[in-house]
Amino acid sequence: MTTRHFVLAALAAATLAACSTVPDRNDALVDARARVTAAQSNPQVATLAPDELQRATESLRVAQKAWSDGDKTATVNHLSYMTVQRVAVATQTASSRASQAVTAGAAADRDKMRLAARTDEAETAQRQLAASQQNNAQKSAELAAAEATAVFDRDRVERSRARAAELEAQLAELNAKKTERGIVVTLGDVLFDSGQSRLLPEGVRNMAKLAAVFKSDPQRRASIEGHTDSVGTSRSNADLSQRRADAVMAALLREGVAADHLSTQGYGEENPTADNGTASGRQMNRRVEIVFAPERDDIIVK
Amino acid sequence: MHTPPFIRTPIAVLALALASTLVVALGGCASTPVPSTQMAVAEAAVQSANTGSTSADAPRELQLAMDKLAMARQAVSSKDFERAAQLADEAQIDAQVAELHAQSTRSRKAAQESQDAARVLREEITRKTVR
Repeated sequence: MTTRHFVLAALAAATLAACSTVPDRNDALVDARARVTAAQSNPQVATLAPDELQRATESLRVAQKAWSDGDKTATVNHLSYMTVQRVAVATQTASSRASQAVTAGAAADRDKMRLAARTDEAETAQRQLAASQQNNAQKSAELAAAEATAVFDRDRVERSRARAAELEAQLAELNAKKTERGIVVTLGDVLFDSGQSRLLPEGVRNMAKLAAVFKSDPQRRASIEGHTDSVGTSRSNADLSQRRADAVMAALLREGVAADHLSTQGYGEENPTADNGTASGRQMNRRVEIVFAPERDDIIVK
Repeated sequence: MHTPPFIRTPIAVLALALASTLVVALGGCASTPVPSTQMAVAEAAVQSANTGSTSADAPRELQLAMDKLAMARQAVSSKDFERAAQLADEAQIDAQVAELHAQSTRSRKAAQESQDAARVLREEITRKTVR
């Protein structure tokens, strides 16, 4: 081997060594590897920026290959730097996307809350409306009831008026008189046998008219009072007057008048309406009076 | 055919082979073309990242990208094309990182504001309901 040969070989070896120094470790590459590993184990980056993470991982592979291929340190450093920055790209991208998801979630939350609040308001309004409607319905019902009562009252008044008018007409036929004690119908002596308590047929007809008064006004009460003239003993007169009153009551009962609406009293000669000294006066004193007690409804009868 | 005397030995053949490898290796180290594409991409990336919001939210990152681009231009001027290509690549990724950094900062603020708004609304609704 000549000296010239040796020099040539040595120069070649030195040049190759300069081009591809292979040190034990490259700090930039170690750092890049650590960052890629950290990003890979970060769920946010792995989930939200998978493509960016993939590019960083690929970049690391290229840097490692350059290092194991014995490329220049500057090249390995450059590739490591690129890897580190690609990890940064992945991390920032994931961070942005996570924040955007939070923003969207918060917006959705707000919408949900607004909707819930509006639903609440609508339900409240609905409840108030329903309550108000119920109130109105109740007021309507009360009004209707009041109207019905008014109609009923009016009807009752009209019925009462009609009844009173009818009663008055019926009583007029019987020569009824309004007195302080009430309406008084007088049955004269001529309706009875002389000295007897039996009603004559004409008296029976009058009984039918009286009974009609009770039928048109079932609540009407009446007292039947017998009177005589002063002829004979007062004892016998009282007895006769009682019997005649009883006879009238019996006749009314036969006509269908309720017994509990009637009462009888024999006054004898105690209450004359005319002079017992004349024949006509005595005849007027012999009588049976049917006294209708005043009623509440009578007040409104003019 | 006349052959030079030193090539006639096997050692001479080996030496010639070594010398050829050396030429090829040196050529490999120095034959990087002008990285015009990488330079263009880097220029565009830095320009795109150089906005008001990026300089507000990621000023250091943006400055790094701009410095890197300046260094790449300088390397081109001094015919160090390999270094220029690397610097251009780095300027491009630095610009991207600056932009994304600013964007994630903005997104984080927006998320915070959105959550605050939701909290305020919730409080308002709660107060209304209680009333």
